[in-house]
Amino acid sequence: MSNAYLTYAAKRLGQAVVVILLAYVFTFVVVSILPGDPITSVLRNPQNGFSEEEIAEIIAAQGLDKPVIIQLWNSLTGFLTGDLGMSMRSNRPVSTLISEVLPSTLILASVGLAVALILAIVVAYGTRFLPKRYGQGLLRGFPSLFLSVPNFVIGLVLIHLFGFQLGIFRVINPDSFWATLFAAIALGIPISAQIAEVLIANLDKEAEQEYAAVARSRGLGQARLFAKHLLKPASLPVVTVIALTIGELLGGSLITETVFGRTGIGSLVQRSVSTQDLPVLQAIVSLGAVIFVLVNLVADLLYPLLDPRVKILGGQKRRPTTADEPSIGSTKAVTS
Amino acid sequence: MTFASNLTLSASTRNSWAEALRMPAIVALSFVVVATIIAWSVAPQLFTTYSPVIGVPADKLLGPSTAHWFGTDHLGRDLYARVVYGTASSVSSALVAVVIGVLAGGFIGLLAGFLGGWVDVVLARLVDVLLSIPKFLLAVIVVTAIGFETINAAIATGVSAVAIFARVTRAEVIKTRQATFVEAAFLSGGSRWYILWRHVLPNASRSVLPLAVLQFGESILVIASLAFLGYGDPPPASDWGLLISIGKDYLKWPWLVYAPAFITILTVLSVNRISRWLRKTD
Repeated sequence: MSNAYLTYAAKRLGQAVVVILLAYVFTFVVVSILPGDPITSVLRNPQNGFSEEEIAEIIAAQGLDKPVIIQLWNSLTGFLTGDLGMSMRSNRPVSTLISEVLPSTLILASVGLAVALILAIVVAYGTRFLPKRYGQGLLRGFPSLFLSVPNFVIGLVLIHLFGFQLGIFRVINPDSFWATLFAAIALGIPISAQIAEVLIANLDKEAEQEYAAVARSRGLGQARLFAKHLLKPASLPVVTVIALTIGELLGGSLITETVFGRTGIGSLVQRSVSTQDLPVLQAIVSLGAVIFVLVNLVADLLYPLLDPRVKILGGQKRRPTTADEPSIGSTKAVTS
Repeated sequence: MTFASNLTLSASTRNSWAEALRMPAIVALSFVVVATIIAWSVAPQLFTTYSPVIGVPADKLLGPSTAHWFGTDHLGRDLYARVVYGTASSVSSALVAVVIGVLAGGFIGLLAGFLGGWVDVVLARLVDVLLSIPKFLLAVIVVTAIGFETINAAIATGVSAVAIFARVTRAEVIKTRQATFVEAAFLSGGSRWYILWRHVLPNASRSVLPLAVLQFGESILVIASLAFLGYGDPPPASDWGLLISIGKDYLKWPWLVYAPAFITILTVLSVNRISRWLRKTD
């Protein structure tokens, strides 16, 4: 644990805290610059049946009669102390609403991520070692194809094929094992395309390194070469990519939950959008930012520890993130 | 030597313009797809005689046939006509999103990269904040804030793309600023703004173009997702995402989902392929 690393870690941590706070403020500003006055228009909507006294009570309870800057201050200090405020529609704390649906989304997202990783590794392995006539080229097209497919379409195709035609799961029961698995596959495929893209590029680079040629000349089989030598260095930059796809995982679960009819954070967002329940939206978006920033912080802090080739220079670190950026300390490509 | 050049010459005369522009066949095909999509959005009435709004109830939920290429929907409307007429809105909203992303992001990146100092620090934090909010959630709250319409979905998508354009433009501007010819322009007495306009901007914009094309494809997907969730224009509009969303309630007649999805995927694939080609030829 060198001094440079600790400086870097402290600086990175400070940055993360600032970004989270600013993201909260940003969301607050977006949510409160709503043109017109949706808050009272929602409350006064005859369908909701609030009396004038109740409306006044809600407005006072939410602090909506105070100037915006004071609302922001109250909301921000509440956020920092873990108080996310009250929902405007159901008169329940936002944190309760969120914690009710969070487990379902966490299951979906983590299974989705697992599917994405497995699929990406299988595809990447195939592009290296599958014989040409068995569709290596097709596999290489996998990332670009699935980056072009809207993820609700993947969900609908899965429901149509496996739910309707083959009858493996029933849409009416979205929390069953198979329905969850297929929802996770729908969520995972676009993400695996992103991971596979980077993994394939890195594998191509690693396979040209001298150590790979040495291993091959020692008579190592392809599967062992892949698992023992190529996968580790090629997947290190993938750590960063995975951290970046967390945002996509959260956004994608919104759509996947709608397609598969699951209850979760996504359906809560949907409901809050249609009822303009701003405190709930504010809380979910800020939590999304918190998760995203924290995951990326962890990835950035772990990276120099995982990859000894990365050097920290004066609090700034360099890492072989993308394929076109040569990694530090890597050997030159073998020219034949 | 002469033999080789003769060979390429005869090949180029045979393969006409694709060879002249020196692009792979698949890229040429992508351009054909994009040209068709543009034609659909400019003059949809030339491509179909059916109405996208008024259907023939007796012909409802027919499968694809020569009369109805993509079949008909639950109101007996020709789905191909609906897709063709929905193109203009789907494509132009993606264009709006890209323009917003390029202009706002480019402006931020240009200022940050060219002025440096505290401006750079402040703008870099702003970009970090924009990047920290999951893109789709950001688009959802922006569209919630400004109202459910396709144009607002486009604006929301554009806002969620600002950060990435700001980053790329900033990096390019910094790279160009350090070039010798920019230094020479400074030394020969060019003003900051003249150099920015005359030298830095054109050079920086070169690598923004492939990204803008890529973002166009991405925007089609995001706007389709927003339309799918019902945050775009309501029916009888026929945006691609909305068509798929309506089709999902009729999964027994799967072409209602597959046909508009196919057109969406084909368009985005073509756009992405063109972007990759642009990046390589740069």
